[in-house]
Amino acid sequence: MTSYCRREHTRRQPGLWRFLGGPIGEDNAVLGLSHVTKRYGQLEAVRDLSFTVRPREIFGFVGANGAGKTTAMRVVLGVLEADSGSVIWDGVPITFAVRRRIGYIPEDRGLYPKMKVQAQLEYFGQLHGLTRKAAREASTAWLERLGLADRAKSQLQSLSHGNQQRVQLAAALVFSPDLLVLDEPFAGLDPVAVDAMTDVLRGEADAGRPVVLSSHQLDIVERICDRVGIINHGQMIASGTVDELTARGPVRYWVDAPGAVAGWYVGVPGTMLVEQDGSRWLLQFDDGADEQALLRIALATGPVLEFRRDRPALTQLFRDVMSGKAIDE
Amino acid sequence: MNSQALIRAIATREFLARIRTRVFTITTILMVAGIGAYILLQAYVFNTSAASLEVGFVGAAQSISAPVRAEAAGFGETINVHPYASLAVGTTDLQSGTIDALVSGSGATTTMTVQSKADSILQTVLNDTAREQVLTQYLTQHSLPPGDVENQLNFSIHEHELTPVNAARIEQIVIGLLVAGTLYTTMIIYGQLVAAGVVEEKSNRIVEILLAAVRPWQLMLGKIIGIGLVALVQVVLIATVALVLASATKLVSTPTLGIDVVISGVVWFILGYLIYALLFAAAGSMVSRQEDATSVAMPVIFVLVATWIIALTVAAPDPGSTATTVFSFIPVMSPVIMPVRIAAGVAPFWQVAISVVLALATVYVFAAIAGRIYRNSVLRVGGRVKFSDALGLAPSGDKPV
Repeated sequence: MTSYCRREHTRRQPGLWRFLGGPIGEDNAVLGLSHVTKRYGQLEAVRDLSFTVRPREIFGFVGANGAGKTTAMRVVLGVLEADSGSVIWDGVPITFAVRRRIGYIPEDRGLYPKMKVQAQLEYFGQLHGLTRKAAREASTAWLERLGLADRAKSQLQSLSHGNQQRVQLAAALVFSPDLLVLDEPFAGLDPVAVDAMTDVLRGEADAGRPVVLSSHQLDIVERICDRVGIINHGQMIASGTVDELTARGPVRYWVDAPGAVAGWYVGVPGTMLVEQDGSRWLLQFDDGADEQALLRIALATGPVLEFRRDRPALTQLFRDVMSGKAIDE
Repeated sequence: MNSQALIRAIATREFLARIRTRVFTITTILMVAGIGAYILLQAYVFNTSAASLEVGFVGAAQSISAPVRAEAAGFGETINVHPYASLAVGTTDLQSGTIDALVSGSGATTTMTVQSKADSILQTVLNDTAREQVLTQYLTQHSLPPGDVENQLNFSIHEHELTPVNAARIEQIVIGLLVAGTLYTTMIIYGQLVAAGVVEEKSNRIVEILLAAVRPWQLMLGKIIGIGLVALVQVVLIATVALVLASATKLVSTPTLGIDVVISGVVWFILGYLIYALLFAAAGSMVSRQEDATSVAMPVIFVLVATWIIALTVAAPDPGSTATTVFSFIPVMSPVIMPVRIAAGVAPFWQVAISVVLALATVYVFAAIAGRIYRNSVLRVGGRVKFSDALGLAPSGDKPV
């Protein structure tokens, strides 16, 4: 039996990456979607979608229901065939052998309800190429790690929803995948379970197994994802680190100056008031406005208790995107 | 990991998951009990040859105990003789059930006392013996040597049967029906289990994770093999019980139940199961809910039931007929019909060989078609997949690569 040991990530540098504009070097992307389009009849579920995922990275997909996240993930897994475009792994079109090295949690969870937990994990380990012995050891280790060791011999259906989710995660991890693709992994989990799962995912990413996940829980995405892609109507409208994305809106500053009076900021050209909350003022800058000049004027009014760039939460950004407000690229 | 190892892992899971279920235990017990009851019924109700009779002989009647015993043995009945000095003691034993019949008196006054109903063979034998006793006395009185008269009477009429009844034929029909019935029942139960198993994986969405690791045809084949092995275990259990019971009750003689019948039963089971399991798997992949599984599999079930009806009404009554021969070549029917002919000893080897080759070819063709339908349908959740879509005739991208 041929077993797929953990592969060394030897980077190839083919022309495709230059075409994709992927960076070269240590940060080289390991997974890429290139101009992927997938139609269901008349509906274009995914249109010309491209994105890259790098080693040691957690990539978060956000988007409304039906935006195309699940379709994109199924295309990566190969359970769906794209109408056009390609999935690239390590610089070359992905193969079935590589796809078998992907740990997957589909949107619709699926395990055998009447099968015992550990037997189930061993089975998935074997299907992904582990020997029976290796599958047993790996499943024992994961059950231990996820706090399910005492439920190893229970039928899956006897477990709570949260514990079933953990087993589902363990099933995706048991064969030490090269990539994790998780569709809504946090759905229906309580905050403690979310923390446990995010710990595991961070550990996997740090160990060199990148994670692609989708979620509606933007606060979690903001917290754990290194990079985020916002998808709408099958198209990627924005992608980047959370900082990059939230920095894309208009430049706004919060200034807390108790001594300031109305119109104190007019001395700085291109400044306008967005909101005032007691002594706190939210000011928006046009291009080229000088925040240091504003700070000097503020200090002239008396003490300044706060002077800080306002960054919208991902949630706000997402709402803006969904409501059609363009993101300033 | 190579294909074989993957299919083995899938088949092992299917086998273990099903053989441990209560359904398997219950159906096995029911089938074994059913076959056992059928055999016992054949042996004891329709076949009236009893075991041994305990017969008491009082006083003078003891002189005929030896000839009675000898003549009864000729009819295949064993008589154990119990001599009694007095009628009273004998009657007490008869009442208590120690003996089945009590014979007293001699000659024309010979009397048989029984509990309620006399054994017909014993009755005949006693009549004959008593008459002979009387006749011997009469002949001796009239100075005719009884031995001479006996020699004169020592003949049988000549019998000539225009259509002889072959004693073995009933055995053959019984065996043929047992084999065909077991194959039919197992195919219809396990075929539907295959369909249900495919739908189960579809309805609980596990198929999506499975297909991220294995090819659709590997998944389908692993399932069919795993469930088939469970069926084989059940068939072997039932066959063993049937063989042991049948030979213990002497319902069938060993030559009829030759090893060829058993081996051909297993071969035809494998062929028949594969033909139908492929059809059931394809049917199951086209629906997403268990309640739709039966309706989509209806045409397959219909063919199987029709085959069984033909086995009962055409093949079993006349295994050698032209109709039976024709049916035994049609691949979807041959796995049930041919075993009936083989058990009846009317299937020449070359016919069996051709029929096996035809069935194998059918398995090959069905595997290709079922594999295609399965691959195109198994990830489509929702309503029933259209047949043209399932066969991949209509353009669609909604299938795994």
